[in-house]
Amino acid sequence: MIQVSDLSKSFSLTRQQKKELGTMQNSVLAVDDVSFKCMPGRVHALLGPNGAGKTTTLRMLSTIFKPSKGAILINNVDAVTHPQEARKHIGFLTGSAGLYARLTPNELIGYFGELYSVSKNDIELRKKRLYDLLDMHDFQNKRIGKLSTGMKQKVSICRTMIHDPQVVIFDEPTSGLDVITAENIIQLIRDCKNQGKTVIFSSHIMGEVDLLCDDITIIHKGKVLYNDTMEAFRAQQQAPNLTAEFIRIVHDQKPEEA
Amino acid sequence: MIFTIFKKELRDTLRDRRTVMMMIVIPTLVFPLIMSVFMSVSERFQKEAAEKKVKIGIVSNQVGSLEADLLKVPDALGKKEFVPFTDTLALIQAIRSDSVQVGIFIPDNAEQLKEVMKPISVTVFHDGTNLGMKERANAYLSFIQENWKKQRYSELKIDEAKVTPLILSYSNVASSKEMIGKLAGGFLPYLFIAFGFMGCMFPAIDLFTGEKERSTIETLLTTPVPRWKILFGKMGVVVLSGLLAATFNLLGIFLSIEVLNIVKDPVILKAIRDILSPAFIVMLYALLCPLIIFFAGIMIPIAVRAKSFKEAQSIISPLNIVIILPAMVGFFPGIELNEVTALIPVVNIVLATKELIAGTLEWHLVAMAFGVMVLLAVIAILLSYRKFENENNVIS
Repeated sequence: MIQVSDLSKSFSLTRQQKKELGTMQNSVLAVDDVSFKCMPGRVHALLGPNGAGKTTTLRMLSTIFKPSKGAILINNVDAVTHPQEARKHIGFLTGSAGLYARLTPNELIGYFGELYSVSKNDIELRKKRLYDLLDMHDFQNKRIGKLSTGMKQKVSICRTMIHDPQVVIFDEPTSGLDVITAENIIQLIRDCKNQGKTVIFSSHIMGEVDLLCDDITIIHKGKVLYNDTMEAFRAQQQAPNLTAEFIRIVHDQKPEEA
Repeated sequence: MIFTIFKKELRDTLRDRRTVMMMIVIPTLVFPLIMSVFMSVSERFQKEAAEKKVKIGIVSNQVGSLEADLLKVPDALGKKEFVPFTDTLALIQAIRSDSVQVGIFIPDNAEQLKEVMKPISVTVFHDGTNLGMKERANAYLSFIQENWKKQRYSELKIDEAKVTPLILSYSNVASSKEMIGKLAGGFLPYLFIAFGFMGCMFPAIDLFTGEKERSTIETLLTTPVPRWKILFGKMGVVVLSGLLAATFNLLGIFLSIEVLNIVKDPVILKAIRDILSPAFIVMLYALLCPLIIFFAGIMIPIAVRAKSFKEAQSIISPLNIVIILPAMVGFFPGIELNEVTALIPVVNIVLATKELIAGTLEWHLVAMAFGVMVLLAVIAILLSYRKFENENNVIS
């Protein structure tokens, strides 16, 4: 379970950044009082246009960033005060994340297993299961730098799941991937849901959201514009399709009243 | 966890061709290459200089005994050919155009002065940029001077011993080891420091800026490993790379001496073997360790802050000069480790190593130098920690 309450994040600006943004302000508010809840066995979509604050929110959930204000509970662990404890429950996958090109999948997955304090036996067992599932046996000992994008994505999935996390965070996981490779991710999200894990993923592709999600939060300029179930979203829909409805909500820019 | 990260980063680093070149290949080859080139060039120059026939211009209006004796100077003092000149202006022009290498002006009254046993003022013209020519003329004239002195003593029936109140002899009490240490000992720490720095550079950039650039750092930061452990694991590899570069440099020296036989002089060879003792190596590493940690500690904050490999490289590369310039202090004779130089980072390690090579170490000064570097290394580590803890620096 993920519970986010009144989450805010501001970044201080350097002189160079102020010049580039043409502002006199010393900081910029990337996430402003965001609250939502993600339940186990459900997939929660975090939607928003580019620069809405999705990645910053997910980085706070995954404890990479410390919130300026607000609370985050990950499986009942306070992720703000006990980030290390919270990380044990989290699997984090981003579309943009790279892999260590000079390592082999076997070495990389073993390394992350060790970092999550998974026992050697469990690492081997989980590796085998994941390799079977993702058909990775053929390239497990090849350098990652020499693998195709699809193969690399499989390695990323394996790395994310090696410690069997109860909360899985996906930041635009299918961004830049071809249809076949993206399908691996979609299948992974479905599997996670079926296993009763809590899944949150950010996207701006409504088709994916429609296909996978049970709950939806739309954010824009750091604020929550909409937060409810997918059923409720469809029910209140005014535009002819989900994409148009998303655009309508963003254009209206009326932050949800708390 | 620190060791897990260290192991992975080391494996990753050793698979990077660029780092391996800077850490292993170049440090190993540089000393044998420099020494081979230096030895062969210096041998060639010495041989050429000995065989070179020097053209000596002589301005003299007569053919007196000085001119005749100059012709009789044995070739053992260097081959020569005399070219007559009528005036000094033409001689100077000829020296400047290198058609003659050195000139001797003999006054018109030289023969009369010789007969009455008075000194003859001889002027040697030379081009100061043409090294060794003044010495060559000096050798010829000194040879004649000695012969003429003997002749005069004999003619005057003077016992030479009676007009030689002092017979000077010089006895060098410094051992060959000390001589090498004091005169050439600055070269070794310079190499170790330069390669230690360069050995740290690529891993520091690759393991911090590189991770940021390749977006691998995010996934690492979501693991339940405290950031300080991640930093220490990575820093360990940066420090080890610096130490390995210095070690391979030492190996290169060993290869030059023991395998390639570049040093042929048995006295120098014995002195170098004495210097490279296990005790010296242990002491050298004790001095190098805090220095390399200090290097890593100043590179890591830069690498953490930099947004790209190129940016990090453009900041760290000029630092190389800042480090190398003080390391050059070891080349200057007379600058020694004292209460002041022991407090100057890099300079203190260079001078301490120089003293170590010469075997003239003063322990309280070494302790001071070591203490200063340990303190700076700790400050550098804390600075790295502060930068690495800052999320704005770590995530691009």
